Amino acid sequence: MPRVDVRGEICPRPALIVRQALADLDTGEILIVRGDYPPAEENLRRMCTKHGIDVTATETTAEADEFELKLQVTEMASLSEA
Amino acid sequence: MGRDAETDGDDRPTRLTEYTELHGCSCKVGQSDLDSLLDDAGLSGNSDQLLFGIGADAAARRLTDDLALVSTVDFFTPIVDDPYDFGRIAACNAASDAFATGAVENLDCLVVLGLPRELIDSAAPILAGMADALDGMNGVIAGGHTIMSPWPFAGGAISATAHPETLLTAQGASPGDHLYLTKPLGTQPAMGATRVTDEQFVATVTDATDRPLDRIASEAVAWMRTPNRDAALACREFATAATDITGFGLAGQSRVVAARSNVSIELTHLPVIAGTPSLSSLFGYGLTDGESAETSGGLLLSVPPAETDAIESALDEAGVFYRAVGRATAGRGVTLDDPTIEEVSR
Repeated sequence: MPRVDVRGEICPRPALIVRQALADLDTGEILIVRGDYPPAEENLRRMCTKHGIDVTATETTAEADEFELKLQVTEMASLSEA
Repeated sequence: MGRDAETDGDDRPTRLTEYTELHGCSCKVGQSDLDSLLDDAGLSGNSDQLLFGIGADAAARRLTDDLALVSTVDFFTPIVDDPYDFGRIAACNAASDAFATGAVENLDCLVVLGLPRELIDSAAPILAGMADALDGMNGVIAGGHTIMSPWPFAGGAISATAHPETLLTAQGASPGDHLYLTKPLGTQPAMGATRVTDEQFVATVTDATDRPLDRIASEAVAWMRTPNRDAALACREFATAATDITGFGLAGQSRVVAARSNVSIELTHLPVIAGTPSLSSLFGYGLTDGESAETSGGLLLSVPPAETDAIESALDEAGVFYRAVGRATAGRGVTLDDPTIEEVSR
């Protein structure tokens, strides 16, 4: 399962990095994203939800601000159009 | 990343925005965190000594029957790399909280400035930008306080006066009122695009919009440098409620007005800096939902139907940009259902 780590990255780079990684995936495939910056999580969730990517948070025991998201490409995915 | 701008030996100018993780009004603490903090500190009630205070854009104290002192403080991290522009924007943004109450007279600014050692040379142009901005707002720099800080920040403590009866807050909108916004939205994606400088993504960002990125950025800077003073002067006779658009975005500030005024707000039209919606979409920002953080944004005004012609004439006469963006209705909360997006260029 591909993973990207956007810890330490400053907006808007996390969205660009994740977008690039998602572009390589086919329908049904999953990308795990690790980050440490709450506004980036919000932006990633918004970007994915608007473009047909399912977002779920994975269990994580990391530090307070860290997050890990499971992104799954659906049939509705439209990231390449934006 | 980027913190070696001064030491890696290249000729790149120092980039103020590389020293922080959050930029401009994006560095604001969130509304719910702020509410909890105030609750925890026992600061959520109104003070009898003030006309209004905590929770409003600024505090106001009645000094005499016909004079109120309005005070506020606002400072933030660099939203632009040019220190002079940063100073101008920081001063406009700080004064905007006073202007949102309608207070424009006797405007003083005490500078609040923090810089890392590597950026000491930026202090003079930041202050020059603030002084020029104050001059343009018929105000003065009255003093200040400067500290060393790993994250740069600038802004000011502002005081201004007005007649107590003319003061505006977010409380006062009524069902049926029309809502006006006095600057287009989109500063967050416009400035975010300027921070993408690595080859890996430059083409992606450039190709996302058919406008040149530097044009979009320069228009955003021009809007952020525009004081809300003229808008405040033109509106205060006609508006029933006002606030300025900040890190909470148009929708966030509308939620504040809706809650304080006990109305519902329907946003139907969003003026945006041309080119910014596609950048916002690329970055995952919420511009077309009204959720994108704005820095030194315009005033959001609530105006009764009987006064809309008068306020539009006053704003036209003052040369102030404005658009009708929605209505206040009976109910609660903010709705934004497929609003029209108008791309505005200067």
